[in-house]
Amino acid sequence: MTTQSIAAPGPAPKPVRVARPRLLSRLSQYLGFTPAAVLFGVFFGAPMVMIVLYSFWTQNGYSIDERWTLANYQTIFSTPVYIDTFLTTLWMTAAATALTLAIAFPFAYWLARYVRRSWQRPLLFLVIIPFWVSYLLRVTSWTIILGSKGGLAHLLGLFGLNTPSWFLYDRPAVIFVLVYLYFPYAALTLFSALERFDWRQVRAARDLGATQARALRSVMLPQIRPGITTAVIFVFIPILGEYLTPQLVGGTRGVMIGNLVDNFFEEAQFAQGATVSVLIAAVVVILLIVFRRSLEVGEMYGR
Amino acid sequence: MAGEVDGVEIVARRGKLVRGALTGWGLLMYLFLFVPVLLLVLLSFNRNRYGSFPITGLTTEWYTSVLQSSDLQDAIKTSLGIAAEVTAISVVVGTAAAFPLVRSRLRFRSAFRVAFTLPIMIPGVLIGVSLLSFFTNVLGLQLTTQTAVIGQSVYTTPYVLLIVAARLAGFDRGLESAASDLGANAFQRFRRIVLPLIAPAIFAGALFAFTMSLDEFVITYFIIGAQITLPIYIYTQIKFGITPAVNAVATILIVGSLGISGLGIAVPRVIKMSVRRVRRRQQARRARPAGAV
Repeated sequence: MTTQSIAAPGPAPKPVRVARPRLLSRLSQYLGFTPAAVLFGVFFGAPMVMIVLYSFWTQNGYSIDERWTLANYQTIFSTPVYIDTFLTTLWMTAAATALTLAIAFPFAYWLARYVRRSWQRPLLFLVIIPFWVSYLLRVTSWTIILGSKGGLAHLLGLFGLNTPSWFLYDRPAVIFVLVYLYFPYAALTLFSALERFDWRQVRAARDLGATQARALRSVMLPQIRPGITTAVIFVFIPILGEYLTPQLVGGTRGVMIGNLVDNFFEEAQFAQGATVSVLIAAVVVILLIVFRRSLEVGEMYGR
Repeated sequence: MAGEVDGVEIVARRGKLVRGALTGWGLLMYLFLFVPVLLLVLLSFNRNRYGSFPITGLTTEWYTSVLQSSDLQDAIKTSLGIAAEVTAISVVVGTAAAFPLVRSRLRFRSAFRVAFTLPIMIPGVLIGVSLLSFFTNVLGLQLTTQTAVIGQSVYTTPYVLLIVAARLAGFDRGLESAASDLGANAFQRFRRIVLPLIAPAIFAGALFAFTMSLDEFVITYFIIGAQITLPIYIYTQIKFGITPAVNAVATILIVGSLGISGLGIAVPRVIKMSVRRVRRRQQARRARPAGAV
């Protein structure tokens, strides 16, 4: 992607330095950051700090008192329902992420290895098209398909079967729809990793006596691992904070932790809502710190 | 590229099998992706009032009812207005920040990078509720479309920033040095060299921000107050089950998006082609007297 030019052929004996650290250019460097710093500082940073503060302050009726307390965290961690929701959310998110990757990887592999180069762009473009349909409608479209009068019921009816009642308006439906929603993210990220891989290396490994599986495992896998990590993170983190899909297709059992936040704030229970928010944000930040080295944030969108 | 020529025939046959299976899987995935979308399109023509199966006949009456519904038109207008403002803000702010992010040698550059990309990693619910409390409890602001614009900008700007930054990172700075050596000042360098080269990224970022804004629901729902955007309209509709009118809106939106992105692909190409043609003509003009010598 980088079109690095050949090193400037100059007779100069000392290394050529392009950047001139003048005071003015120094200042102008900061100048570019200013609007972003204001936008993110005031309307993202400050509200987040406020949420953290709320989680340590005391709820008083429908408002909040600036009295420090740990009671909010104690309540969350001592109420089985909340702990259950948190744990359920974690495994549902993990399951949805694993499934998404599992179905997206063969797809990306096929696209990168077996599809002609001139076809790859149009096919990738097709993957993005469903994004133009409103998120809400993509979700509800599945409720029609999976519902009792829907296409799946018709299809199963042909074989004399009924739609399983445990599917829609329960956890499986949430996971299924989340897999659908996040498939494009995973597919695009994995493809961009596989696209850069030089398949001749697999050939070389085969020529040296490795089996196909061995060649893929020891030659391809290590090279695309950062791409896989990026895909996992970019699917796991947004799913962790989902609350619309669980609300629309999850019924009462499919509730996720995002719904908890929503409910608390709708009921003006700011302190509790803030506490759950902080817990979610903590998981996100920890994941980002742990995987920061293998994340290819820029490359994902710089295509 | 994938010229697998294996000597052993069995291996080749197995390779073909794998290839066939993977191709089948690929097609299955496209089916998976498009079934819900095509279903919406199909149901938008369905006479059935409940916006679902069975198909009782074909009609276009839902499209006429959409075009007549003033609620829906208001929602679309609000959404377009917000999207335009959000796009303008994110393009200006994102592009301005992309330069120092890529080029400066500031000590905290990577910290800035993380700080600026955090808003897309933090779940929308959290941004929504935190901004809601911030606007109402701290700033004491009335919730309007303007607060929604701010909330969405927080979410879309990082994308523009990343897209433009990626383009800048792959940018040959020698071009600017060359222009500088030829006597171009900073403004000329920016106007004549940098801007044309990063324009496609800015355009892509703008398109991205615009479409994200149009579909943003989670953040907006918390902080827009009584106003109704298109996703909020759809949300209130589907609470009572999908109506065919909503399906019609979805179909119109798909066609619209296809049109816009078709333009998005075609316009830069046409520009590039015409620029190239002009340049070639200029070169030809310049080359002629040189060739005559």
